Amino acid sequence: MNLIAPLNSRGGWALVKSTWTSWLQYRSFFFLLAFGWMIPPLIYLFVWSAAAGQDHVGGITRGQFVGYYLILILVNQITYSQTNWTVGDVIRSGGLNAWLLRPMPPLFHALSSELAGKVVYLTFVTPVAALLALLLRPEIDPGLAAAPLFVLSVALAWALRFVWGLWIALLAFWATRADALLAVQDALVFVLAGVVAPVALLPAYLQGAARFLPFRYMVGFPVEILTGHLTGDELAVGFAMQSAWLVIAVALAYQVWRVGLRRYTAIGG
Amino acid sequence: MRYLRLIGRFVRASAQQDLAYRANFLISLLHSVLNLGVGVVGVTVLFGQVETLHGWDLRGTLALLGVYLNVSALRGLFLGPSLDALAGMDGEVWSGRLDFTLLRPVDIQFLASFRYWRLFSLTDLLLGMGVVGAALSLPGSPLTAGRLAAFAVSLAAGLTILYALLLGFTALVFWSPGFLFGWLFNGIFQMARYPVAIYPGWLRPALTWIVPVGLITTAPAQALTGDLALPTLLGGVGLAGLMLTAASRLFRTGLRRYASASS
Repeated sequence: MNLIAPLNSRGGWALVKSTWTSWLQYRSFFFLLAFGWMIPPLIYLFVWSAAAGQDHVGGITRGQFVGYYLILILVNQITYSQTNWTVGDVIRSGGLNAWLLRPMPPLFHALSSELAGKVVYLTFVTPVAALLALLLRPEIDPGLAAAPLFVLSVALAWALRFVWGLWIALLAFWATRADALLAVQDALVFVLAGVVAPVALLPAYLQGAARFLPFRYMVGFPVEILTGHLTGDELAVGFAMQSAWLVIAVALAYQVWRVGLRRYTAIGG
Repeated sequence: MRYLRLIGRFVRASAQQDLAYRANFLISLLHSVLNLGVGVVGVTVLFGQVETLHGWDLRGTLALLGVYLNVSALRGLFLGPSLDALAGMDGEVWSGRLDFTLLRPVDIQFLASFRYWRLFSLTDLLLGMGVVGAALSLPGSPLTAGRLAAFAVSLAAGLTILYALLLGFTALVFWSPGFLFGWLFNGIFQMARYPVAIYPGWLRPALTWIVPVGLITTAPAQALTGDLALPTLLGGVGLAGLMLTAASRLFRTGLRRYASASS
């Protein structure tokens, strides 16, 4: 079956709603997951604000670091795709059979847990970030044009991070422990996507890699739009890179799914 | 003596189980290396921009990272797996399998703390020691016998505090079986990667006295590369004793609430 077409949007929406309500029952579990994910950026928020003190580091003041990291915590949560960690399990355990048999594209199953997850996680992370903003007094002054560009780049960043993780997760058709590669993706996002430090503060060799590889466009780029005063050229190059990597990721995921599904022999159910 | 022999048996049984899945070793090695990598990159990027951070230089912060990795490795070696089997996801308290554990003729707290071993964590231990070694090889104040002794004492106190905290968090499962207290602790414990001094004033007391991650890693690292004040050292030892007693009592009180779980 094709991963996306033909779209059955009514069935898909029903699935999204049912996943979402069933997840809300296990709020405390998902809140704990979200808590765990926000800690690494939070630690570096504290590290860099302490480093800046009353002064600044690399031209960034304490308040600007706080603003940068609070937005990053939100963007990181919006774009983080926990679904990909379960795709491998679904293939291994044979749960994919049910996905394939339903009269709707299998992609809806992944998307429904994606959307349900976003809603549940954000009901936890947004108030916490707001509280931290009250305590830590961030300084953010985005340009007027920044807001719509930010929204657009967050949407692209989510799509890129989700689809990039999806093609890696789909390697489970060949290797049962392919999800180990997702841990590599997480580590690269941590280093290159602006979590350990804003990309502008990375040493030159890491900065080059960050600007070329897809990971900065999964988290750091949208945050920089809102906080980094990117020039017109930097914006254009950023969006071009983000879109190009998205196209590559979609092509990879599509191809891996097509070839992998032919190898798939159902186990259990 | 009997308990030491039992630990030997537990280690052997766990090793036999782990060795059946050899690919897991490679994957766990990958995770160890990634964990080490992100930690070292974090410290180097930071000290590429600044000279010192609240009195901590590259040498001290790197030593602290090494202590953090060592402590996490010891936790992953047996405390984590054993306590998780009790209170983690689908743990024995939740499923009711604790019935069979309680029936064994061994002290239950001992059994809960030492039963399962994850020998892959030994690689984390080696990597952590390597980081401490690398930090000490950087130029700085020399390592004296006094410092080494203070380091040993504060590390022992820190590990005791860690054990008491984990046991305490585990005990809470008897009041709230579905809540994964271990995960909550995981998040907070990550803050031990950096010296407590960098955290804002409102957070620092909590990190020193309520969930004293500062005493677990900051104090030993300070003993090793700087000068740990004697009151902090003694305070750590005192708190360790206090917390161990309190956590054991909490665990036993909680255990009395356990009412099995027939389905």
